[in-house]
Amino acid sequence: MNVLQLEGLTKSFGDFTAVDGLSLSIREGEIFGLLGPNGAGKSTAIHMIAGLIPASKGEIRLLDRNIARNGRFAKSNIGFVPQEIAIYEDMTAYENVHFFAGLYGLRGAELKSRTEEALAFAGLDDKHKSFPRNFSGGMKRRLNIACAIAHRPKLIMMDEPTVGIDPQSRSYILNSVRKLNEMGCTIIYTSHYMEEVEELCTRIAIMDHGKMIAEGTKAQLKSIITDRKTLMIELKSAERLNEEKLRGIAGVRAVALDVEGSAVRVESDAEVNNLNRVLQCIMESGMEIRSVDERQPSLETVFLTLTGRSLRDD
Amino acid sequence: MNVWRIAMKELMTSRDPAMLIFMLATPVLLILILGSVLSGNFNGKEAVGTVRVLYSASGDEAAKEHWESWIGRSIDETGGLEGTERGDREIIVKGIAFDEAKMGEQAAIDEVKNGGYIGYATIGDEGIRYYGNDRIGAENAIVQGLLSAYADHRKLSLVLPEAAGAAEGAASSGEHFETRMLQAPPKPNAIDYYSVAVTTMIIMYISMTAGLLIENERVRHTANRLLVAPVTKAEIFAGKITGSLLLHLFFVILIVLLSKYMYGADWGDNPVMVLLVLASQIVFAISLGLGSSYMLGSKASGAVIMTIIQLAALFGGSYFQNVDNGDFFSKLTRLSPLDWTNDGLLSVIYGGVESPIGGMSAEYAAILLNMGFSVLFLAAAIGIMRRKEGL
Repeated sequence: MNVLQLEGLTKSFGDFTAVDGLSLSIREGEIFGLLGPNGAGKSTAIHMIAGLIPASKGEIRLLDRNIARNGRFAKSNIGFVPQEIAIYEDMTAYENVHFFAGLYGLRGAELKSRTEEALAFAGLDDKHKSFPRNFSGGMKRRLNIACAIAHRPKLIMMDEPTVGIDPQSRSYILNSVRKLNEMGCTIIYTSHYMEEVEELCTRIAIMDHGKMIAEGTKAQLKSIITDRKTLMIELKSAERLNEEKLRGIAGVRAVALDVEGSAVRVESDAEVNNLNRVLQCIMESGMEIRSVDERQPSLETVFLTLTGRSLRDD
Repeated sequence: MNVWRIAMKELMTSRDPAMLIFMLATPVLLILILGSVLSGNFNGKEAVGTVRVLYSASGDEAAKEHWESWIGRSIDETGGLEGTERGDREIIVKGIAFDEAKMGEQAAIDEVKNGGYIGYATIGDEGIRYYGNDRIGAENAIVQGLLSAYADHRKLSLVLPEAAGAAEGAASSGEHFETRMLQAPPKPNAIDYYSVAVTTMIIMYISMTAGLLIENERVRHTANRLLVAPVTKAEIFAGKITGSLLLHLFFVILIVLLSKYMYGADWGDNPVMVLLVLASQIVFAISLGLGSSYMLGSKASGAVIMTIIQLAALFGGSYFQNVDNGDFFSKLTRLSPLDWTNDGLLSVIYGGVESPIGGMSAEYAAILLNMGFSVLFLAAAIGIMRRKEGL
């Protein structure tokens, strides 16, 4: 069953088209990663799904209902974790969650228990009476999540939920995302951290210039880059490396030394078997080889190949 | 329900003790300072202009003629009357005008009660009966003195007409003179006046914070979180206004109570109407702040509102009590929201205040004007907000 379906979703601001005909389906129980460089249109797409801005064109269906005609239903079933920390610093952690959960129609004992449940989920059950102004960045991020989940939404959208926090809090949040998913929530997750998306998401869409340029599982995306292979050769010393000679070998596309200068990265056509000639060339130069590793393309390579930009190019 | 929830949230986000103390201490100190420093304006010489008295004369024609010729002569002789009353306050009366009451006795008495006239005198065969406004003692004493002199003069003229002229300075017997004091509202002293004026001026400053009501949600990034919840923009708007109204009403009530019990300020005996006038001004201030922040943007509106408040305070009698001389400046003061609100409150507390809207008492006029302008400002804010994406 599709939890969310986008059909030709478009948003224009004057002459600028931020999202251009985005169509995709997200199935129940998925953790769907939305990747794209800055200005790709991810946040605009998420804001349209959340009902914050109207679409210029296209249709959004949540649980098979058009959200334009069922706004209240859609909002009740969506949890939104914004990129920025959106809490009231002069209200306690409990009051924050209680207030936002109350806006979703929860009342009395149910509201109280859901508030406590959300705070416990975020690891803040001992901070009920504490004010967020005294919290660390990670704790604020966790409270930010607690405020979005107390009403038990079917779809949770997380827009860069781990920006600017310590590794411990990041790990806590990533585990929370997995737990929410195990509890039956469908999640849309955007991040600048490729490794998070790679680790968490069951399916990924890559957006650039407002358009979706690729979509699929990690394996499917990596299979897009089938014509390349990467050889990582670790050397005792690369001082005498003749890069020009290496580039002259059939099939070699690029040669680069790593930052430390002790390993060489050789990009090569996948169908050309040139491993022996590459190794022979290095040994003839009198260099000692310590290890050889043939790597499959990473999601980062896929992203770079498709968009021509790194995910964290700001 | 969501409106109420958002309103309660507004109250919860305003629990900073330092802010609460500052919000209370500022007006309470200002009342004390202005009430003490400028008390001379209220306890020194007070020019009351011409004292106006209603009369009706009955009985034989000779008596009427005698009365009318006598008041004509007395008025000629009273140019520059002075009387001292009310502690150390000196009242300067420029003259006395006797107007014939053509509206009937009860209506004339009502006029006196409402402060339109100082007193009402009936002159007839049975003697003189005088209904005086007991809150205006000095002016009454002058009128009573004149009437007593007339009674003696009349008595003497009937008994010994040729000696009447020579006996004008004789002491009054009081035999033919009866005085009844009527209840009428008092006038404010300095603390009374500045309790009202400072409270309404402080309320105007609410528009500064009201301009940031929605902006604060944007700055805290909670605007989007509110909008993704099943809550309409109208509910958010109404909730924030309600919360702000309740918060400031609470503070204003505290200021009123503190001024009343700390300084003995007179807030009259109609607290409900006082509260209604103050509440209407709070709504006005919130609406002004919200309206201008939507129309001008938050940064520009702050400067504009500050200018409006300063002008409103200057022209509205926040620092010096306005005196209506009928000149251009007096007309200008009528444009200040503080002027009409202060008049509304003084009308509730003391009565006898001219209303800016004919046929309506000053307090109802204040409420009507405050709410009317509020509707305009809020309509502008709502109109702009509906066209905007987000709050």
